[in-house]
This record gives sequence, C-alpha cells and structure tokens, in this order.
Amino acid sequence: MSERILNPDLGFVKEVISAGGESLKKCYQCATCSVVCNVTPEDKPFPRKEMIQAQWGLKDELFRNPDIWLCHQCSDCTANCPRGAKPGEVLNAIRKLSLQEFSVPGFLAKMVNKPVFLLLLLAIPAAILLASGAGVFPDGKVEFGKPGGFLFSLKYIDPLFTTVAVLALISLGLGIRKYWNAMSEGKPETNVPIGAAITETVKEILAHKRFDKCEVASARSIAHKLVFYSFMGLFVTTILAFIKVILEPQTGYLAYLGHPVAISESFITWLTVVFKIIGNASAAALIIGILLMMSNRVKNAAKAGLGSYYDWLFISLVAGLGITGLLAELLRLANTPAAYGMYLVHLCFVFFLFAYAPFSKMAHMFYRATAMVFEKKSGKA
Amino acid sequence: MAEQCILVIGGGMSGLTAAIEAAEAGYDVCVVEKNPYLGGRVAQLNKYFPKLCPPVCGLEINYRRIKENARVKFYTMAQVESVSAKEGSYDVTIKLAPSYINDRCVACDACAHACPAEKQDDFNFGMSKTKAAYLPFAQAYPMKYVIDGASCQKDCGQKCKDACKYGAVELDMKPETVKINASAIVVATGWNPYDISKAENLGMGKVKNVITNMMMERLAAPNGPTAGKLLRPSDGKEAKKVAFVQCAGSRDENHLPYCSYICCMASLKQTTYLKEQYPDSTADIFYIDIRTPGRYEKFYWKVRDMEGVSFTKGKVAKVENTEGDDVLVTFEDALSAKKTQRAFDMVVLAAGMESSLRQAPLELGINYTDEGLIVPSSLKPGIYAVGSSKSPVDVAKSVQDATGAALRSIQSALKLLPAGGAR
Repeated sequence: MSERILNPDLGFVKEVISAGGESLKKCYQCATCSVVCNVTPEDKPFPRKEMIQAQWGLKDELFRNPDIWLCHQCSDCTANCPRGAKPGEVLNAIRKLSLQEFSVPGFLAKMVNKPVFLLLLLAIPAAILLASGAGVFPDGKVEFGKPGGFLFSLKYIDPLFTTVAVLALISLGLGIRKYWNAMSEGKPETNVPIGAAITETVKEILAHKRFDKCEVASARSIAHKLVFYSFMGLFVTTILAFIKVILEPQTGYLAYLGHPVAISESFITWLTVVFKIIGNASAAALIIGILLMMSNRVKNAAKAGLGSYYDWLFISLVAGLGITGLLAELLRLANTPAAYGMYLVHLCFVFFLFAYAPFSKMAHMFYRATAMVFEKKSGKA
Repeated sequence: MAEQCILVIGGGMSGLTAAIEAAEAGYDVCVVEKNPYLGGRVAQLNKYFPKLCPPVCGLEINYRRIKENARVKFYTMAQVESVSAKEGSYDVTIKLAPSYINDRCVACDACAHACPAEKQDDFNFGMSKTKAAYLPFAQAYPMKYVIDGASCQKDCGQKCKDACKYGAVELDMKPETVKINASAIVVATGWNPYDISKAENLGMGKVKNVITNMMMERLAAPNGPTAGKLLRPSDGKEAKKVAFVQCAGSRDENHLPYCSYICCMASLKQTTYLKEQYPDSTADIFYIDIRTPGRYEKFYWKVRDMEGVSFTKGKVAKVENTEGDDVLVTFEDALSAKKTQRAFDMVVLAAGMESSLRQAPLELGINYTDEGLIVPSSLKPGIYAVGSSKSPVDVAKSVQDATGAALRSIQSALKLLPAGGAR
C-alpha cells in the first residue's frame, strides 16, 4: 500500500460545522448513506467519503470533485443515517463553502450567506431604484409603463437590470471556469466530446431524471419541477417583454432613440397576449411550487433536516419574488397606487436574486450542471 | 400468611443462577417465568461462544440443581401482576396462565400425537410447526407438555384428553393467582431479539431467505427445525454462501442506539457452524466495527483466518430478493470505496438485543431508558437488576452479575443493608 500524507485543515472542519454541518462529527463511517443513495455513482460513491473528508478537513478533495454537486440532497441518506449525522445537510454546507471558494469575487458569497449582511444587500437595489426615480409615482390610472414618472425610471431600470445580469453572468462564468479547472487538474483527458456531455446534461435536467430517484423527499421533485419550469417561463416572458419594449412603435426604445421601426400594432398586441399568458401561468406555478417546497421542507424536517440560512434565503427570495409580483399585478388591476410600491419591492427581489445569483443558492443550477457535464465528460456516468 | 422468599423474575440463565446460588446458601427462592420452561434464550442457542460447547449441557446441570433443592420454587407460564411498595418486604401477586396439563404428565407424546390442531413453533421462531399440545423443546424443564388454548379449539382439547392414559389433561384449568412476600427481588427479565422488520431496507419478513441470528441458532441446533442442517427457509437448499449483516438495528438511533455487545461474537460463532458443516462454504461478514472485547479478540482472529471467510467494512443497507430465491445485498466497501451488489444463498441479520421490559415493563417504581432498560440507580432497596435487563450482555457476564445479585438478595433478606444501600 502506498503511503499518503494527509494535511487536515482544521479550520475548514470548523467552517463546515458552522455552515450548517453541525452533525458532521456524528458520522462513524458505516456507509449506509452511500448504499441508500440513488443518485451516486457506484465507483467512489458519495456521501460517506465526503463525510470523512470533511471530518479530516480535506478541503481540496471535496472541492475539486463533481460529487458534492452531483448530490441532489434527496435526504435518503439523512433519513437512514443511524447516527443522525445528516450527510445531506453536511454536503449542502460544503456546497455553500465551495461557492465561497470559486465564485468571483468570493467576499460577496460570504456576505450573501451571512444574515448580518441581509439588510445591506437589500438596501443596495432599493437605493439604486429610488435614486433612478422609481419612487416617483405618477397620478391617474395605475400603469407601470406610464409616461411621466414610472416610465422614465423604467428607461433606467431596463439598462440597469441588463447590466446587472451581464455582470452576474460574467461572475458566474469566472466561477464556473475556476471550478472546472479545479476538477480537471491532474485528470486524464477523455474522448467524450464536451458538446455531447452538455446536451445530455441539459436533457437530464429538463427531465429531472436524478431528482426523480429520490425516495424520502420524492415530493420535492414536483415542487422543484414547478419552480424550475416557472423560472424558464418567466425567462421567456422577460425576453418577449423586452422585445416589446424595444420595438413598440411610439414608446419603444428604438422610437425613443429616434430610430422607430415599422412594426404592426397587431404584432405588439399578439406579443403582449402571449407573454402575459406565459408570465401569469409561470407566476402561478412559481408560487405553488415554492410554497410546496417550503411545506415539504417543514414536513420532512425531522427526517431530512430543516435546512440552513443558505436554503431559506433562496427559498424566501423566490417566494417573495413570486408573491410581490402577483400582488403588484393585482393592485395594478385594482387601480391602487400602492401597486407602484409593491412593484418597487418586487424589483428589489428581482435585483437581489439576479445580482447575487453567482453567490447564493441560485448558483446551484450552474454548479450542479457543470458537475454533471464534467461527470459525463470524464466518462463516469 | 403468604409464602416468604427471594423473588426472581425471569427463569433464564441469569434468573436461574441467582435463584440457585441463593437457595444453595440456604434461602428460599421463588422463580417466576413467563414461558412454560426454564432456560430462556440460552435454551435456544446451539453453541456458546467462544468455547463452542452446547449450552444445553450447562442448563441441564442447573435443572438438576433445582430438582435437588427444595428451596427453589418455580412458577412457569407465570407473570408478576403487582408488587406492593413496602421497601424490603414486598407483597407480590403472581398470575399463572393455565397449561391445561397437570403434574401427572410423563411426556409420553400421546396427547400431541392425537392433537388435530397445529400452531407456529415459537421456540423455533416460526420456522416449524408443533401440535397445539406440545413439549416446548426436547430437553425442556419442567419436562411437561402444554396445551395452547388459543390454537386448540372445539373438540381438539377432548381428543388430547382422551389420548392421555395418565389423566394429565385438565381442560377446565383456570388462571390462578399466587401471593408471596419477597424479602428481595431479582429482576432477570432478559431480552427479545429486536424486531428487525422495522428496518425496512434489511428485508426481514419480505425477502424469503433473510433470517435473524437467533433463527440461525435454531437452524444449527440439533433439536431445531432442520435437525441442525443449515438449509435456507424458502426451498431447503443448503445455505453455502451466507452473508452476515452486523448492527442490524443496533448502534442505530432509528432503532436501538446502543451496541448489543454479543452480535459480532454471535456471527463469528455462526461462521464456524457454516464452515464446519460445509467446508466449501463462504461467509461474508459486513461490519461497521468488529467488536470482540477482551479475550474474545482471539476468537475473531481464529475466524478471520479461516478459508472462505471475508470481512467487508460497510453496513448493508439494501437487501432484495433475486433470481432463484437468492438474496441480493448492496453495500459500499468503505476500504476500496466501491458500491457493489452481491448475491447470497441466505442472509443472517445480526439483530440486536431489546430488553423484554420494553414491551412489558414491571411496575416496580423504577426508571427505564427509552429502550426499556432498567436505570440501576433508580432501583429501590432490596431490588436488583441483572443481566440484559439493564444493558446488553453475554451469558458469562450475566452469570457473574446474577451471582452477585444472589449475595445482595441474601444481605437484603437478612436486613444487613441500610436503606438505599449498595445495589
């Protein structure tokens, strides 16, 4: 047997414990978890090995590896664990720490995941929005795109949000690249083409194939599908709405900039009807899905653990996003000026969710997808 | 006036030891046993570890000591109903269930022969059947048949009665109540195998060829359901490829949070049954840690070095039925980090020990752990807990414990102990 010198990082052990992995040290390596896990690979299965790596403070072994993200936190391991060591919760805590490791700039990940910074982080979008005039509510019929007050601010808001989204995407890209490089380091090249790995991964994610293998938290798959597809729906809605805002004959961006395009009113009306249907349906699915998710978590808390700030911040933001969006719409239809205020709050949630996406649990979809692509590329799955 | 004696609750190895030691020192003892026979779990064992000698041998010595000693009075099919709370002098009511057979029984088997009804053989954990009129096992003491009222209905009893030449069958026997006054009480209530069907992933009761370690003892015992042949239950095929699943329910906060102490040694012992019967057999022992404390370590080394015996560090957490009634076991070998499935002829679950008091606690004003084990510090003066009523132990430790309790009981009977004295 070859000798290997381990360099335990005791500080890291403490970090895992304080990041929501309190139960880490209860693990006595019986390997029940790896057996009951339906999403683990058979060669070097998780999460038993992650538990001992975390106990020993082997940070690099954990981070430079797709496994922590291949875990979907079904919590079958946690429910069957004879020691209450909650491997699902521990791996979740490790994932949170790995975001701090890879995301750029890393300090934002630390801030996003610490409750003390919550108000400050929320104050940023509020201040920007108010400074750009979103606090000035026009008189008369409530209409978010109305000239005179809110409309003007919207002209700021769209570029502002676009900029934020682009910055967030750049940050995510940098983080993902760091993660990918860390995983690839010292690993042999394989013949699996990256394109095929990506296609396969996307297919798998769309079908929620792995999620469906969960047993204890089987109900979570439905909730996650609802939220996932509603996000896709809202993404499409946003794109279509954006097209409208650009193209509208009189009030659109192009018209505003002095380059109106010839486009029929009926196309704009059709476009509006389409994205309103998609948007409203998605909003309903989002609210139902996220409420289901919350109730599942509470119901399953004894078996699977309640989750940490990292989870609940994300869940609350999504719930807040959905509910304020819906309320803003209802208040607008009721022609109450309070609609403007609600819309402002809604925009704060949108900003929070997207600006901090590379650092919060929102990033899970990108890191997990990356891990899945890596797994396929390395020929493991 | 009620009879005065030291009361021993439970007629297993611990209870018998305490009773005989106290009686041989000159004190009157009453033993209350819920089964129709004395000997408890030990009577069901094929061999003792680590010496691999048959327990029946030691039991027979104890039976003889009882027979020869007028100071030991025992009640079988009996249960303690109530205990008055006067310290140092306990008025105890004992309830006796009817066996429908009196002391004239010579164990000739005529009643069983004639008996038309059958029942599941509890002594063999349901792996065989007996007649409703039956002798619990071949070497039972008292050597007396019993009729199980619940399974002997209608004319069944009359047929048994007609077959008996000795007038031993008494169909109108009623439950009885006996009152005694106890100067001391020894609680030796023992244990039950943990109901491992509660661990759904281990397949007990669902997967055909999954048995418990106590069932394995019965399979291996010459007086067991297969006359000692290791044949698997579903089809009677020779069980040559056997998996032993350690910590089945033990060291598990969803089941029994403690280590049951004896299961590692039991599985190692049962591996020797297998290897002795089928030299070409294989035994795979799946463990978290092999716990063979003290001198038992040597026994572990001996079994470890036997050919065809392998040890895998990794708890089995999935057990399924597969082709040809084989049992498919899923595990992660933690030393090589590979998740693997392997098929076996039969799987033996090393089910843990659960205190009998968990199901049927005694009203003695004492505290129990969540798992029904006695908290010794809560015992009142003159009451002593021995053996597996307070923690999982092996036979050797139970016997030592019981001997000590015999001395304490005598001291209590002599009023030598101050109130709240040593327990």
